[in-house]
Amino acid sequence: MTTTDCASCADERAAGAAFCEACGRALSSAKACPHCGVPGGIGADGYCEHCGMLASRPRDHVEADYGSVAAAVTDRGRRHHRNEDAAWLAVRGTDVDVVVCDGVSASFDPDVASETAAGVAGALLADDPDVAKAILSAKDAVAELVKSGDPRRGSSNPACTIVAATVRGAEINVGWLGDSRAYWLPAAGPAEQLTEDDSWATHAIAMGADPQAAMRDPKAHAITAWLGADAGPVTPRVGAFTVKDPGHLILCSDGLWNYLTDPAALAETIRENLRTGGTLVDAARGLVDFANAAGGADNITVAVVPVLSLSSVKE
Amino acid sequence: MPYTAEAFQNEFLALGATEVNAIVTVTSSGSEGGRRTSGATEIIIVDASGSMQAEGRMSAARQAAKAAIECIDDGVHFAIIAGVSTAQQLYPAPGQLAVSSPASRADAISNIDRLQASGGTAMGAWLLLAAQLFSQRPGDIAHAILLTDGDNGERAGYLEQVLASIGGKFTCDCRGVGVNWKVPELRKIANALLGTVDIVAQPAGLTAAFEEMMTKSMGKTSADVQLKVWTPVNSTVRFVKQVEPEVRDLTGKRVEDGPRAARYPLGSWGAESRDYHVCIDVAPGAAGDEMLAARISIVEGDTVHAQSLVRAVWTEDTALSTRINRQVAHYTGQAELADAIQAGIEARKSGDDRTATIKFGRAAQLAHASGNTATEELLATVVDIEDAATGTVRLRRKVEAADEMALDTRSTKTVRVGRGQ
Repeated sequence: MTTTDCASCADERAAGAAFCEACGRALSSAKACPHCGVPGGIGADGYCEHCGMLASRPRDHVEADYGSVAAAVTDRGRRHHRNEDAAWLAVRGTDVDVVVCDGVSASFDPDVASETAAGVAGALLADDPDVAKAILSAKDAVAELVKSGDPRRGSSNPACTIVAATVRGAEINVGWLGDSRAYWLPAAGPAEQLTEDDSWATHAIAMGADPQAAMRDPKAHAITAWLGADAGPVTPRVGAFTVKDPGHLILCSDGLWNYLTDPAALAETIRENLRTGGTLVDAARGLVDFANAAGGADNITVAVVPVLSLSSVKE
Repeated sequence: MPYTAEAFQNEFLALGATEVNAIVTVTSSGSEGGRRTSGATEIIIVDASGSMQAEGRMSAARQAAKAAIECIDDGVHFAIIAGVSTAQQLYPAPGQLAVSSPASRADAISNIDRLQASGGTAMGAWLLLAAQLFSQRPGDIAHAILLTDGDNGERAGYLEQVLASIGGKFTCDCRGVGVNWKVPELRKIANALLGTVDIVAQPAGLTAAFEEMMTKSMGKTSADVQLKVWTPVNSTVRFVKQVEPEVRDLTGKRVEDGPRAARYPLGSWGAESRDYHVCIDVAPGAAGDEMLAARISIVEGDTVHAQSLVRAVWTEDTALSTRINRQVAHYTGQAELADAIQAGIEARKSGDDRTATIKFGRAAQLAHASGNTATEELLATVVDIEDAATGTVRLRRKVEAADEMALDTRSTKTVRVGRGQ
């Protein structure tokens, strides 16, 4: 207990006490500010009463840990001022619903868009594994955002990407809009990308451009489909797979795959983390740490779901 | 809660940037049921110096004072001061305040006929008497109207001394009739006492001016509203300005209030909306850092009516940090407009036509670009505006004194911009 006086009422008699004698506020239980270290100074709005820094944002780093069934981690990264990615992970027995969304930074309130989309799509998947339907509902919900909140949403409406998947035994459904990805990671060999980015680079490569040059282009990451009021009529792309051998379903935002564009390197890095991480959530966190160590230029989200593995059968 | 406070800003700062700007719009729907939360006291101060005999000013002032008395609600305390070389209470008995009723108003109106022009101008003494009368009713909405037609005759520095001692005790709207009074002198009083200043060029306009001021004052429901600004350590408030409906610098009125916080007086409030520009210098943050640069509260005593946050978020993304907030840019321009006009008038008076032309040119450009047509029209009485867009103006050889004084007093009037980014 290092508090010498009360931060709320500046009463000096509080020295060494657990509660301020004058105003009764708890002194020692209050957390120290991670920026300036002054204890007990975090205000109700989350800012330090001393240095003014935001002590923490709940979305800066969020983990979902379903033991050996599934795990997801989303992180602000090192360059962005907030986490505009959002994830949904729901587990019922061995059934898993997972959604990853990445807010479009150029839009207003993209963090609200991603959170809305992940929540709406994820909740629908519990009753109906039709990912296309869930994505379209998410699109409607994100498009509605323009009608509420800050008026600036009108000129630059909230927007985000989405990738959603359901795991029902060996059956996997996946759907997406934008450049957030799903991969199938077999026990050995390179990862198999289940999605195809709705991005300028993918489009250019499909039209015959040199893949290396296309990815280096400043427009490479410009997405060609998204959720939002200005998205126009969109058709989510979908895929359905029946898994034959055990492996892992991976969903991630470009904050991770940007540092692992080679499917063999991606597979190796994930397997490395699964081996050394111990639990699934450790592995997911390890992947986030990997992206942060590589620069953390964007928000990072990754979900890891083992399919047909011994452990998931056991649950 | 009848008050709202909303901050408009671009919170994103480039790395190394330390200046945080925000426009805070404070709106009140007035107190519950539109009733005053406290009592109210009105004092009318009428210059009765010898010069008021000219152009029928005295009789017009009598008419105006009578009209203002008629506007006072029942139950409001009031008094009338006759301003000569000393301050003389015209109504009610010296040292007393009357309580408004049909009978007391009629009594006051008949007393106004005793008002005779003779003697000098002693604004410091008049205001001091007003402050003494107001002090009988602490907590009241305290408002005075000061009418004069000439220079203050008191020794240099006395008025300033009085203003320093009575600042914050009451608000005072100042009106100058004719063209022989000094705009800076009345502006000094209005700034110290959070009131307005304007010219009434023709005595015939006095009645309407008095009625307007009194009606507006009767619409005030809260006596003493303040803007409380909390800032983090290692930061300083560069300025706090009211920027709408008119520019008024409040920076110097700072009163410390607890750790890292201070209050700035806003005066009395009714159902109205005003904008404030707050500029804070903070310590620079790292990429991704988010700082609360200021917590702005609208307070009355210990009651917090509304709160708004001014934030700083440092980013490497120049697309975000270079965004111009329309509100901040607009009001920065409106404040520059007022400064340019006042500098132009000063330069013209001192014979520096070159500087005057440059300043008025800039003012014409700013007024035009921001859609402040009232100011643009006033400018056109002092200069010929050849091209407002480029700020090309020519000084007029002959300018009516009243026009220049109107431009001077109204230079601080601002207009709003549409909301949204």
